[in-house]
Amino acid sequence: MKQRKILLFLGMLCLLGLTVTSCMSGGSQPAQGWSGVASGDDALYMGSMGGEMVSVDTETRTLVWTHAFSSVSSGGFMSCGQTSSPVAIYGTPVATEDLVYIGIYSGKIYALNAATGQVRWAYPKEGSIGPVVGSPVVVGDVVYVSSSDGRVYALDTTYGELKWKSEVLDEKLWTPPLVTLDAIYVSTFDGHIYSLSPDDGSLLPWVFKSDVGFVSAPVFSHGIVAVGLFDNSLCAVKAGGSAPEWSFLGDSWFWAAPVVEDGIVYAACLDGKIYALNAETGEMVWEFDSQEPIVASPVCEGDLLLVVNESGNMYVFDTNARPADKNMKPIKTISVEAEVKGALCVHEGIVYVRGQNNVLYALDIDKGMIDWQLSLAVE
Amino acid sequence: MADLWNLIILNPMLNGLIALSSILFSSFGGAILVLTIIVRLILYPLTIKQTKSTKAMQELQPKIQELQKKYGKNQQKLQQETMKLYREAGINPAGCVLPLVIQFPVWIALYQSIMRALFTTPENLLGLAQHLYNSSVIAQALPLSSHFLWLDLGSPDSTLLLAVIVGGTMWVQQKMTTAPATDPRQKSMNNMMLVMMPFMFAIFTMMFPSGLALFWAASNAIGIAIQYKIMGWGYLKVRHPS
Repeated sequence: MKQRKILLFLGMLCLLGLTVTSCMSGGSQPAQGWSGVASGDDALYMGSMGGEMVSVDTETRTLVWTHAFSSVSSGGFMSCGQTSSPVAIYGTPVATEDLVYIGIYSGKIYALNAATGQVRWAYPKEGSIGPVVGSPVVVGDVVYVSSSDGRVYALDTTYGELKWKSEVLDEKLWTPPLVTLDAIYVSTFDGHIYSLSPDDGSLLPWVFKSDVGFVSAPVFSHGIVAVGLFDNSLCAVKAGGSAPEWSFLGDSWFWAAPVVEDGIVYAACLDGKIYALNAETGEMVWEFDSQEPIVASPVCEGDLLLVVNESGNMYVFDTNARPADKNMKPIKTISVEAEVKGALCVHEGIVYVRGQNNVLYALDIDKGMIDWQLSLAVE
Repeated sequence: MADLWNLIILNPMLNGLIALSSILFSSFGGAILVLTIIVRLILYPLTIKQTKSTKAMQELQPKIQELQKKYGKNQQKLQQETMKLYREAGINPAGCVLPLVIQFPVWIALYQSIMRALFTTPENLLGLAQHLYNSSVIAQALPLSSHFLWLDLGSPDSTLLLAVIVGGTMWVQQKMTTAPATDPRQKSMNNMMLVMMPFMFAIFTMMFPSGLALFWAASNAIGIAIQYKIMGWGYLKVRHPS
């Protein structure tokens, strides 16, 4: 009798503990988003941690408008309150003259009026596609978006009409497509780089297959596609080629898409380092250890390279410097003292970054300090 | 504390499951089943001890019933005499809960492993990097397929089938060791216990990723097999006295 009581008590305790564990962030990390910042004429656009798109006036340093996306319930039986969770926004919006484009985790793509925040169009009009994690890419009158249903969608920028959708390329696509004049390149978790026709999304003959899956979005420069893999390497593949041109090994994943500038690949790694590599050979030119994982892609601005690590330390490097010992030193460091995962945005000499604490920071590179900051929390 | 948990429990389990998946033709469900077998093998000595203890307790039932008749009105004395009887027979009544308690961290680590290994959210994928061992086998095994039989291992089973299996196997396992009671209050308590735990686990199966429920179902099945080997069908075939 007593034994059964103990058994029941412990069983209930275990299950209660399991529930609490699963609901707290240590158990599993819920989708919260890490939207980057995009700039328009006099305004910035970004997703907030509360699931809204927000516009900030850089002159008055105030919120211009917010648009809250309606959450679609996806919770299972007695789920941990998922129905009330805000919609996560991972991508960096794209701002054109009058519209702002963004894909959200509930599986919708939106074009919002840049001045008012009102929805110009949504795709699909009814229902949803798979969750959208990658940023939209706008080229000409087409917006390209990859989705967790494994497809790439091409939509008309003005009306949001579907021009084409690709066949299913993987179980899920979380990185944005790389759009060039001749082809659209898509890297997949299962180790493929596909090339698609920009006209109709059909598969082009060149497909690159790797034994290891790709974790980062691809970048393209001078016929070379550079992309990070699950085996902690960054490899460069010649479009049309069958073997990597070169491969560089880090101590963790190259999560962020690298940038290529003046023949140098700047690759940020989750091992906390930023590597400058010769784009032709993959040889390391210099490196810098920031001590914390780097999630956001680096940004080149003139002769400067800007890198922010997950702990919110932004480092400014002179891209012309070539340290003899290959250990680069930043010329400036600015700390925002908040977790940073989203993409940086440089606008008129100011770097904008959104912290995971839902605060927008404006960093003055010249002064080497935070110029102003604004909470994105909407009352 | 979190680092210690990751180092000792989560990381070995996560990497072990990924490596097992690679060996088992990219089947994450197969890896969970093998993990279940490994866990049950580790707990085998404890399970044997528990089952033997339960069997010994069954054999003591006539004596316990005598004590119930004798001290039925004095619960404190009844408890003392029952414990004395257990002590004399070398039985620890709390011993049977040990395998359950030991499995608790395994459940939590398995839950975390499933959510991370199957990239259920971008945050989980990003967090996965810091838990992986630097091994080509691990790197090549990613990404894992979440499909196993009719299940999406990263989500709760949308059908009721797995909940019925988990609840059913747990009921059978408990029924095999639940001794019939003559005392109406005890009988009522036993019946409640017999239903409560399977029901709770069936509910939890509908809430948690089916990969975790797959572990529960397989673990129950192995438990039934071990109990059958030692004590046959036990009280599953015995009609409880009315």
